[in-house]
Amino acid sequence: MKRIEPLSWLFMFISMPLILLLTLPLIKMTFQPSVEMLIETIRDKDVVNAIARSISLSFFAGLLSFAMGTPLAYLLARKNIIGKRIIEGIIDLPIMIPHPVVGIAILSLAGRNHPIGRFLSDVGIQIMGTKTGIVCVLLFVGLPFYVNTVKAGFESVPIRLENASRTLGAGAFTTFMRITFPLTWRHMILGIIMCTARAISEFGAVVIVAYHPMTAPVMIYERFTAYGLKYSQPIAVWLIIISFILFVILRMLSRSINQ
Amino acid sequence: MIHLKNINLTLPSFALKDINLDIQKNDFFSIIGPTGSGKSVLLEGIMGLIPFSSGNLILENNDITTLAVEKRNLAIVYQDFALFPHLDVTQNIFYGVPYHKIPKQTAQKRFDSLVTTLGLEKITKRSPKNLSGGEKQRVALARSLIFNPIVLLLDEPLSALDPIFHEEAKQLLKKIHDDLKITMIMVSHNFSDVLYLANRGAIIKNGSIMQQGEIVSIFERPNSKFTASFVGMKNIHPISMQNGNMIIIKNDIEIIPAHKPSKTDENMGIRPEDISLKAFSTDKFENCFQGKIKKITSNGIFLNIYLQTQNFQFEAIWPRSYLRDHDLNIGKIVTFGFHPESVHTF
Repeated sequence: MKRIEPLSWLFMFISMPLILLLTLPLIKMTFQPSVEMLIETIRDKDVVNAIARSISLSFFAGLLSFAMGTPLAYLLARKNIIGKRIIEGIIDLPIMIPHPVVGIAILSLAGRNHPIGRFLSDVGIQIMGTKTGIVCVLLFVGLPFYVNTVKAGFESVPIRLENASRTLGAGAFTTFMRITFPLTWRHMILGIIMCTARAISEFGAVVIVAYHPMTAPVMIYERFTAYGLKYSQPIAVWLIIISFILFVILRMLSRSINQ
Repeated sequence: MIHLKNINLTLPSFALKDINLDIQKNDFFSIIGPTGSGKSVLLEGIMGLIPFSSGNLILENNDITTLAVEKRNLAIVYQDFALFPHLDVTQNIFYGVPYHKIPKQTAQKRFDSLVTTLGLEKITKRSPKNLSGGEKQRVALARSLIFNPIVLLLDEPLSALDPIFHEEAKQLLKKIHDDLKITMIMVSHNFSDVLYLANRGAIIKNGSIMQQGEIVSIFERPNSKFTASFVGMKNIHPISMQNGNMIIIKNDIEIIPAHKPSKTDENMGIRPEDISLKAFSTDKFENCFQGKIKKITSNGIFLNIYLQTQNFQFEAIWPRSYLRDHDLNIGKIVTFGFHPESVHTF
């Protein structure tokens, strides 16, 4: 039998409470509601809509981060742009700012008393209480996860390969499409997954920008404050189950394409 | 063919200073220098990957100083080959074809002939990560040669290879140059590779060209202490003239050179392989010394012999058999010398 180092035992002993801290509450909550209760909850149209809204808007935020965050990640990975460190710091900001603050900050910019807010409402874009507003905050909180993941991906491609492509006659854009993209798309999928996952979990910023249309976390909070634990739990369970299945499928898909 | 005129290139920690080079059609031109001398930077500058700060780069009478990399029709083979890991060998070789307006049949024909010449028949469907260093290099060569570049640039093509591929690759490069009549610029720090492959070249040190011209003349007539030691010259010492005789300043030893040193010459050097034992030489021994074998070190096939005269030390290189056959050992007193033609001054 393989001997286990005493140090490994010690580390395992210290790690155990952490694992339990992460798993016990979730397991307890998942198995607490009765099956009838779960079935009843999923028949509630509002619940289904809220979960669908949460997932679809989060995924949309993930796709936006792909479309707009990819060039940013590339610039940060490849170019020595002025103020690069500052930009990197700014991108990480959403991770540390309290989430309600994010919501308040966005609202203060989008309000009628700010030129940007006035411009937005003139062209017919509403932030407060709309899906646009929700996507906006979800992108805000999810972007660091996308940009950092994909930046690491670009950094893992030797610049020499891009140079070699250029010397063989391919232009900068063709080089990106034929060399850089094929070598980093897995990072992009991972980035979209990370950004989407982060967005699904967002509550604090969303609740300030848009209480309605209701996303799943807001609904869970509402049911909790209005009816108590028993009525909020089943929604939470469904959100966890559906998100979990979706992410497992996405991961498996990206792995199978890989092979 | 390719002319570099007053090229300067400034990087944060390094600079190329006033580089002038003339490379002729069909040259196998070598840029030679120690690590960190700027030879690879110069190559990437010619390729267009690093912009020159000033100066002009002329290719076949066109100024291409600011032309985009992909439009220069030059090709480079990197030291680490830079094969595309997500493409197989065939896809790698065909990579540049769409950008050079080569008809499909012509490309296929060139591909077939390159695959045969470079011995890639069995690996065309393999992924680059399953290739040996030598195979990778041949794929990288094929990938560049398929579109007939005007000039092929080689960045230290032999130094990343295992010794068993080294000799093979050297001969292959020579064959490619001879068969395809392509102009080549090779960066190298190994003078023996350069002697075998190149016809002309330039010695570079700290971003400046020290000497350029025929490789043989650089080898035989180095113009500075640096170049001399770089091309394998030893026994380098400061000299001065006294009553028309050349002496080594350090200890007044008189050396007879075949050619009188010019006024600007401050040093002399003698190749260690040019020093021989009197007993076995038919040379006219105008430079003759007696001394003791002080130290013997091995550099592989040959031995470095340190010969101590009364007040001076010479370094010679002799084959192992030479010592064995003549029963030479440390401590033995020998008479040795060298021909005046072997005395180089610079």
